[in-house]
Amino acid sequence: MSRTLSVLENEVQIVALVFMATVYVLRLFWLFRFRSAPERTYPAGSAAAGVGWSMMNVAMPWAMESTRKKPFFYVQFVLFHVGVVLAITATFIIPYWPQVFERAPVVRGFQLALGAAFAVGLLRLYRRLTTPALRLISTADDYLSLSLMILFFLAGVVAMPNRPADGEWPLIAFFGLTAFFLVYVPFSKICHYLYYPFTRFYFGRMQGHRGVVAKNRRLP
Amino acid sequence: MSDERIDVNDVLKLPLQTTSQAKAVADKVPSLEQGRLTVFDPAADNPEKLVRLMRERLTRALAVSLTGCVHCGLCAEACHYALTRPDDPAMTPAHKADQIRRIFKRRIDWTGRVLPSLVHAGAPQTVDELNELKNMVFGTCSACRRCTYNCPMGVDNAALIRFARGILTELGIVPEGVFNVSRDQWETGNQMGVSETDYLETLDWVKEDLQAELGNPDIEIPVDRENCDFMYSLNPREIKFDPRSVSNAAKVFAAAGESWTLPSFGWDQTNFGLFSGDDKLGGYVARNLYEAAVKLKAKRIVISECGHGYRSSRWEGYNWAKYDQDLPSESVIMTLIRYIHEGRIKVDPTKNALPVTFHDSCNIARSGDLVEEPRWILKRVCADFREMEPHGRENFCCTGGSGLLSMAEYRPLRLEVAKIKAEQLKATGAKLVCTICHNCVDGLNDVIKHYKLGMKVVQVLDLVAEALVPNA
Repeated sequence: MSRTLSVLENEVQIVALVFMATVYVLRLFWLFRFRSAPERTYPAGSAAAGVGWSMMNVAMPWAMESTRKKPFFYVQFVLFHVGVVLAITATFIIPYWPQVFERAPVVRGFQLALGAAFAVGLLRLYRRLTTPALRLISTADDYLSLSLMILFFLAGVVAMPNRPADGEWPLIAFFGLTAFFLVYVPFSKICHYLYYPFTRFYFGRMQGHRGVVAKNRRLP
Repeated sequence: MSDERIDVNDVLKLPLQTTSQAKAVADKVPSLEQGRLTVFDPAADNPEKLVRLMRERLTRALAVSLTGCVHCGLCAEACHYALTRPDDPAMTPAHKADQIRRIFKRRIDWTGRVLPSLVHAGAPQTVDELNELKNMVFGTCSACRRCTYNCPMGVDNAALIRFARGILTELGIVPEGVFNVSRDQWETGNQMGVSETDYLETLDWVKEDLQAELGNPDIEIPVDRENCDFMYSLNPREIKFDPRSVSNAAKVFAAAGESWTLPSFGWDQTNFGLFSGDDKLGGYVARNLYEAAVKLKAKRIVISECGHGYRSSRWEGYNWAKYDQDLPSESVIMTLIRYIHEGRIKVDPTKNALPVTFHDSCNIARSGDLVEEPRWILKRVCADFREMEPHGRENFCCTGGSGLLSMAEYRPLRLEVAKIKAEQLKATGAKLVCTICHNCVDGLNDVIKHYKLGMKVVQVLDLVAEALVPNA
């Protein structure tokens, strides 16, 4: 392995990761500076149960009309995000536990998942480009983030065997994109996973407290 | 079904009307003099004022809704404006919320300021832009919260719309109807400007009519009676346009042997603060109600059938007024369930033989806690109850919610997008559509008339009163 690839897989990633973590911490401090409005009413349900329901919403496609009516859309969502998780996992496996990718079935599994996520990414890009409503609401960041993810998945498929001896460019591309992502993500929509617990918490807490979901009253 | 097509650009360009505001200034309306009601000041730096108010009023829940949208577009699948106008991308809830979000990103969110053009951040520079924002948030959204429930991220677009409305109201950049109703509620304590004399006289003749109808001179509509089981609260529409609703309540309460009262002040459970986004007005009106109940030493507050009134009085009002709830409060629907369950009233479903369907008020089904409850009653007082699809938490708005009925300039668009509601109603084959909201009664009547559906709108109390079996 060349010195360049080694630095890219290790030092560069660590610096980029520290940068991302720092921005996230600052971001959370900033968010907590906004006041949280107290609830002054008697409950009709359970706020805690509401929060639980809201957080788990992501795993309940039947709970939302939009995903219930469009199951394929939900499948796309799952494939895309499984791809994200596996791609991020791979950025740690390759430098720290390379022996994992010495097993062909593991490599094939990762490649299959990232390949599926890549295909979904293309579908999502097509949808964003061809649906007027989506075109209107899409920002440059929406296009850039999605395009980068598509490239990231593709780079992951090619880099996954982790054989620098056969050529380092796939790995350089994969880790180069990873480093860029780590720096770019806090300023883009990709960091929505940071906000998900918050939006879901506040929505679920209100709906649970009011008994819109998780009602504590039974009819006679 | 009618196929009139409105150009949304015409709606967004509707001018700011300030005739009523000018009149209020000339009349030296007390709430204006006291600084509670505000008017448009063309000399002020309104775009900058908007940003300042945004900073002051943002809560964490709103801030995360502003940062959390991923622009997936699923909200468009839920919104009756977007579903009825699929070729009009401007109707997408995320686009409407983005008009607020872009200001937040440009001026408040520091990550948005790093590369504003990347995230479409931008702040309004002129009053014309603020006026367009006004038309967007007041005229193209009924804040029904359907999109919120269909957002994978849990972004509360309806709360963002209300937030923007509140700031624009503070700047006086509001539809005339909103200004007028807000003024009335500030001035008289009720949104229809009913004077105390008119209120008491109406209750008197409703009582006399009821006594004559039932041949019972002992039936009362008590006012300001202390130590009752509950204090009842009304929608001013019941006093002004639909006293039959008060009469039906009095009839049922009498049949149940209830100890109840109305207050002479603080009886309005509706709250235009919910629609205008003005928490000050919201808190003022709600506090009147809570304090009236305490003053009368009532054990509970019972809220008559009204969607936004229930949401405001039972849920939002305590928070707006910064008033810790000190008495139980409930919808009259819960009171009726108790009466039927405990055998305090007897009902005969054959007395309501026509097929009935139920329309869920957005403010109750998605922002309150009553979905199965009205159905529990309807199944006992109606012979032929039919669900509409979708129903419950997924039901569509009557399309007159969030104060839209008071904003005549947006009526053509409102009725165009009501097509989805009209089709939903028609498909039930019902003759009666029941709802637990006075606002929905008017909204649905508009839809029924416009789309020539030939249905009649009723409320649960009407059907219960009709089904009452005299006690032996």
